[in-house]
Amino acid sequence: RVDPYGFERPEDFDYMSYEEFFSRYMVVLTRRAIKWSKLLKRNNGVQKSVKVKRYIRKGIPNEHRALIWMIVSGAQANMEQNAGYYNKLLEGEKNDMLVEAIKTDMNRTFPDNVQFRKTADPCLQQTLYNVLVAYGHHNKTVGYCQVSKDIIKKTLFLFQGMNFLAGYLILITKNEEESFWLLDALIGRILPDYYSPAMMGLKTDQEVLGELVRMKVPAVAELMDRHGVMWTLVVSRWFICLFIDILPVETVLRIWDCLFYEGSKIIFRVALTLIKQHQAFILEATNFPDICDKFKQITRGTFVTECHTFMQKIFTEPGSLSMATINKLRETCRAKLVAQGSTNNI
Amino acid sequence: TSGKPSLTGDSDTVSLQSVMLVGDSGVGKTCLLVRFKDGAFLAGSFISTVGIDFRNKVLNVDGVKVKLQIWDTAGQERFRSVTHAYYRDAHALLLLYDVTNRASFDNIQAWLSEIHEYAQQDAVLMLLGNKVDSTQDRVVKREDGEKLAKEYGVPFMETSAKSGLNVDLAFTAIAKELKHRSMKLPNEPKFKLHDYVKKEVRGSGCCR
Repeated sequence: RVDPYGFERPEDFDYMSYEEFFSRYMVVLTRRAIKWSKLLKRNNGVQKSVKVKRYIRKGIPNEHRALIWMIVSGAQANMEQNAGYYNKLLEGEKNDMLVEAIKTDMNRTFPDNVQFRKTADPCLQQTLYNVLVAYGHHNKTVGYCQVSKDIIKKTLFLFQGMNFLAGYLILITKNEEESFWLLDALIGRILPDYYSPAMMGLKTDQEVLGELVRMKVPAVAELMDRHGVMWTLVVSRWFICLFIDILPVETVLRIWDCLFYEGSKIIFRVALTLIKQHQAFILEATNFPDICDKFKQITRGTFVTECHTFMQKIFTEPGSLSMATINKLRETCRAKLVAQGSTNNI
Repeated sequence: TSGKPSLTGDSDTVSLQSVMLVGDSGVGKTCLLVRFKDGAFLAGSFISTVGIDFRNKVLNVDGVKVKLQIWDTAGQERFRSVTHAYYRDAHALLLLYDVTNRASFDNIQAWLSEIHEYAQQDAVLMLLGNKVDSTQDRVVKREDGEKLAKEYGVPFMETSAKSGLNVDLAFTAIAKELKHRSMKLPNEPKFKLHDYVKKEVRGSGCCR
């Protein structure tokens, strides 16, 4: 009833087809595990390279996942350069409001995961609490690293959604300091200000996705326009939670493998694949709630459960997607949002 | 985008009415919605809401079907710039605080000014003090809620998503008001939301 990560399977979980898939996937996992252990035995095995990128796209074996994420995201280097920093954050003075906000979400982070229950032993709630408290106070400190200095200068920095990211990192690394530095890599470097107070990066990327859909799946873009469905309504959780609780755990982890290596572009690839693959299905919708419902349904079923095939699809289905295109779209969409005054809401 | 509520071709159905749940993080918006939608409350099974989501429910109000589209929002401050966009389409708003959390009550005024800024002027508004089942942890008295509601001229009731107290009533009252507004039958007496709520509301104490 519980999956390898501690998540309870839903009542209606289809064990038959899952077993059928998993027996095939086991073959892939075994082959990849052998390849990876050879790679890691060599020196400099995980320097960035075409080969490593290919390996990562085919999936990092779970036993190496934490290590590879740490290396390719730069979290490892940051952790080593700032030894003792994490503990200092935990020992420092705490902001009451921040602590209160974190506590509010403690019982609301993965209640369906046995490891996050109050009664679990060891209970990951305390670990999660520590990582979030440290992260919330971390960004008040200026100057420990280039990127964070630019993005965040002031205020407390905690955000609903972050608890889910931290929770996943803890499940994989089983180490709170590593989770902290990976969270920093995601929020500080990999994602463009999704989690800043005005959420400009998030709003921008939602619009960018809209534009990409207009280019690559125009009929769906037209449907959204016709019924006045804003992209934020159907995709904001995809971006904020990086597909946690949207797609199956194993699929999310495979996406994150690529995300840590290749950056935020991967999110668009996944989103476009989901939309393009289900184009005909989405176009059946005839009204606003229907559309929203379709967008929920396309994140379920065998297409997304079969993570290995799915990950191959995200690199073929959406077609070419250059960083230059994305950057250009980000620029124009951001300018449009600024002109609409969307930063003034905060 | 939907403008004024109106009758659809179906004479006994009121067109889709959108209701928004707002209030601080953790006051129980999702729980209230699930209790109303599915009649269930599973302690410790709710995850914090990220962004915005909605569920539909059809209510039968005096023989007329009223379709409610109920929007559940993330309470955290930084999400508000995302949720503001939905305020203007809301026909009704349920504003919640948690009777065991003083800060969530103190923030009600801030929420009200936000609603006044972004929502339609004639949107139906109701104040709910949730979690009254937690009698031992209560820090906001019912009188405090009543006083604040009176000050702003808003109907008020205390609810419990856990026990179900007044949950259906809150939505039914809203649905009745919206139905009356959209149908405006000539011979029908005017529906008075305040009076209806006062008459129907149940206390959390002895009179349950």
